[in-house]
Amino acid sequence: MNGQITHIQRMSTHDGPGIRSTIFLKGCNLQCKWCHNPETFSSKPELEWLSDKCISCQTCLLVCPSEALSLQNGKVAFEKSLCTACFNCVDVCFPEAIQKIGREISPEELFAEVEQDFSFFRESNGGITFSGGEPMLQLEFVKETLRLFRQAGIHTAIETNLNVPWSWYEQVLPEVDFVMADLKLVDDHIHHNWTGASNRQILQNIINLDHSGKTYILRTPIVPGVNDSQEQLEPIFEFVSRLKNIQKYELLPFHPLAASKYKNLGIPNPFEANLCIPASKLKEFDELLIKYKKDNHERKNKL
Amino acid sequence: MSERINFKYQGRIDTLKGKKKLQTLEKIKVEGLLDEDDYGRVVPPKDHWNSISNHPDGSFYGLDGWTNNFCDLMEHHPVYVDPNDAFAGRWMYFMSRMRSNKWNPDYPYDHLKPNQSKYDIISGIGDDAHFSPDYQMGVQLGWQGLLDKIEHFRTINNSPEQIAFYNAHERAILSIQSWIKNHIVAIEHLIDIETNPELQQNLREMAEVNRNILSAPPKTLREACQWIIWYHLASRTYNRDGAGGQIDTLLQPFFEKDLAENRIDAAKAVYYLACFLINDPIYWQLGGPDENGKDQTSEISYLILEAADKINTSLNITVRVHDGMDQQLFRKSIEYLVKNKNAWPRFSGDKALVSGFMKNGFDAATARKRIAVGCNWMSLPGMEYTMNDLVKVNMAKVFEVAYNEMLAEKNSEKSTKNLWTLFENHLKIAVDTAAQGIRHQLKYQKYNEPELILNLLSHGPLEKGLDVSDGGAEFYNLAIDGAGLGIVADSFAALEQRIELEKKTSWDEVNFHLQSNFEEVNGERIRLLLRNSEHFGHGNTLGDSWALKISTTFSEMVLEESNPQLRQLFIPGLFSWANTIGFGLNVGATPNGRKALQPITHGANPVPGFAVDGASLSLANAIALVQPGYGNTAPMQWELDPTLATGDHIDLIGSIIKVHFEKGGTLINVNIMDKSEILAAHNDPSKYPDLVVRVTGFTAYFSMLTPEFRQLVVDRILES
Repeated sequence: MNGQITHIQRMSTHDGPGIRSTIFLKGCNLQCKWCHNPETFSSKPELEWLSDKCISCQTCLLVCPSEALSLQNGKVAFEKSLCTACFNCVDVCFPEAIQKIGREISPEELFAEVEQDFSFFRESNGGITFSGGEPMLQLEFVKETLRLFRQAGIHTAIETNLNVPWSWYEQVLPEVDFVMADLKLVDDHIHHNWTGASNRQILQNIINLDHSGKTYILRTPIVPGVNDSQEQLEPIFEFVSRLKNIQKYELLPFHPLAASKYKNLGIPNPFEANLCIPASKLKEFDELLIKYKKDNHERKNKL
Repeated sequence: MSERINFKYQGRIDTLKGKKKLQTLEKIKVEGLLDEDDYGRVVPPKDHWNSISNHPDGSFYGLDGWTNNFCDLMEHHPVYVDPNDAFAGRWMYFMSRMRSNKWNPDYPYDHLKPNQSKYDIISGIGDDAHFSPDYQMGVQLGWQGLLDKIEHFRTINNSPEQIAFYNAHERAILSIQSWIKNHIVAIEHLIDIETNPELQQNLREMAEVNRNILSAPPKTLREACQWIIWYHLASRTYNRDGAGGQIDTLLQPFFEKDLAENRIDAAKAVYYLACFLINDPIYWQLGGPDENGKDQTSEISYLILEAADKINTSLNITVRVHDGMDQQLFRKSIEYLVKNKNAWPRFSGDKALVSGFMKNGFDAATARKRIAVGCNWMSLPGMEYTMNDLVKVNMAKVFEVAYNEMLAEKNSEKSTKNLWTLFENHLKIAVDTAAQGIRHQLKYQKYNEPELILNLLSHGPLEKGLDVSDGGAEFYNLAIDGAGLGIVADSFAALEQRIELEKKTSWDEVNFHLQSNFEEVNGERIRLLLRNSEHFGHGNTLGDSWALKISTTFSEMVLEESNPQLRQLFIPGLFSWANTIGFGLNVGATPNGRKALQPITHGANPVPGFAVDGASLSLANAIALVQPGYGNTAPMQWELDPTLATGDHIDLIGSIIKVHFEKGGTLINVNIMDKSEILAAHNDPSKYPDLVVRVTGFTAYFSMLTPEFRQLVVDRILES
């Protein structure tokens, strides 16, 4: 079964141990409003419009059947709502200002593409990581591809939102060496507001993962106005403290680097005005986490 | 190791570094900008010495011309002593550049000039050095030992020409000794006026060291370093020779003897080594296997790295990477690379260099002795004459000739297949022209510029009474480098993909826009179509296939020039040195979307910006793929992303280095440059006097580069 991916990021150093190739799959069942990979929201291919690359040759206007591309003040403009995703424009855009995001790929093709970096993986104890989007939504493709890499002795990892039935993980985890997941919020109502989905399944899956014997880490993205408060973080820390087998837990600061992606895709960006979490604030939260761990440890010792 | 050393010499080192900074500023002020190595050279006093002509054209040539000039310069050479330094002497004069003409017109090569011009060949005729002396011989014999050797062989080889040869070398040594004596007098004078007791004591020791080695070979680490410095400064003065050697094994016996006799501690050794390294950024190799494959790392290998860290100026230390290497030394070297971000050390890949050189018929022991001691080049110390890094074929120009010929022939089929045939034909002529130039040099260089100083530490010239260029050397492993691989590969790929496979454009349309430098209507669109085609370097692309084909073909053509009967072995490499701008100025717009007169690609590197992400891995794969594979290098010029270059990523960086070498890579030059800093430095270089970049094989102060070259470095880093 083929998969839909946005791209393969080589030389990834943040998605698991060593040097890795991260494969970004298209489609997600959460719609986190701060997501830095908005190109993975939709499971279907879509257009990305890189205005700084456009030389206004206007060739694309000749092939666009829906007036999604038009001339405004001498420059080409893109209106996503009118786009029928025919992709005629991509082929004639020689400057590559219009690009198709999303391509179909078979497990074998993906394996062949990544294979050139196997030596780097082996030397650095790295490997491949499925990310997204939500890789588990392409279960069969992911399962088959992971199997190919595992057979070649390559370390495998997935970055998942844990928002699919645990039975799906039971099919995939035998082919996975390492799992990375987010714990965004404990409060279900707030979680629903910001991501469009309940977190009940997610929390239960974290517990299942903890019991699974699989090596995993959890991260909490600190997002301004969402969970950057003691009120939201303490329940998260409390939840994490109950986990027995977690390898690592870390706080990740929100960054606004995805702003251009939203613009290029023509998707509204609710976090457009937000800046990075200041280092001082992140330090406060790190200290809170350390304090919480210490208090919790002492509490357990007293018991 | 540094944590254990109580280093009490930092004040002296800081003073020397501060002085070097001022010397660099003075060089820029007096001599202007220069796209070259820093060399550690200082500006000589104005009008202090001028060369003596022995030819109507105003230049000087031949044994007499060079010997007379060298001896006269040594006699009048200014002295250089700094009480903070462990060693006396600094390089000041570029004797080989003080000539109005570098090739003796009595030995013309006019028959080669048309093709040299047509294919933009740097012939190397009249160029010098670029092979390495055997310092081991020097520190074993000392100056008197070398004089004795001359005396011995003068009685055996006694034709008038040979007698003149020996007399010239004898005069050269005597003049070097006289130069050292002048320094001893200067040191003694400074002892009398120095008020700081510690510095006065340092000067006393410096004087004693120089008295000890004036005739006899060195016996201590300090004496060995000072001896090497004198020889090297003499050789630099003579003809810019910058070759180094296996520095740790060279100095190890002296260090260990000093330790055993309680003459030294680690701090003092680091002080000596720091002063040694700041004297001149010579190409020294560190670590690596001995001739039996056993790793040579010792305590002094670490101390050399530590000394380099103390001075952290422009340095050309190369760490040899091999299977049995000391992993701690490897890691330490990357830590310094990342910590200082000053483009040192470099890394040399033993596996491919040794196996490649063995393909030329050498055994493993000899191949392992061939070490990284030059800008891009390897050398068997004291055993070979090579013309390394001197002879270059601009393959982008060869491509242009072939392309224009195809278009000019009205009945010729326009196809990449036909273009390739023409390219092959012209490349063959170009390589042959380059080889003929080398043969011309071998025949006449002794009448132009004998290697008076390098002969002294070579095995053969004194024994045979022959200049190293004239049959004196043991081996003639002659280098021809190809340049512009990325431009040519991407041009073939763009034509094949866009015209032949996709039919998105036509030969006529591409040609029209090439002729107009993509400046006519629709020109930019077609340029971008071509530029965005399948690049060399991205992995399994059309560009990669073409690059491999070009490299293989070039290498075979170079190898075919070899002549075992004449002991002439030609070895291919891919390297452009600092000629990327000059070569580019001779080539019009190319089908890879490059505009006319823009620089060609650097060495074996793909066109900058070839990879969207994962550029480090792509680069490591791509350059390993196109290695000529016969023991000369095709370096990987690596602009390492500063966000990756952190202490957390030492092992990842190490992995990339190891994998590149495992896949066939030969040499890695690394820059770690913050993009905003390099832009700011480009804007106002004077505010960044300490900023060092590895331009190609050599490092240079960014502020010393010409604006054109600074732009090239900036573009390379911004597009990495």
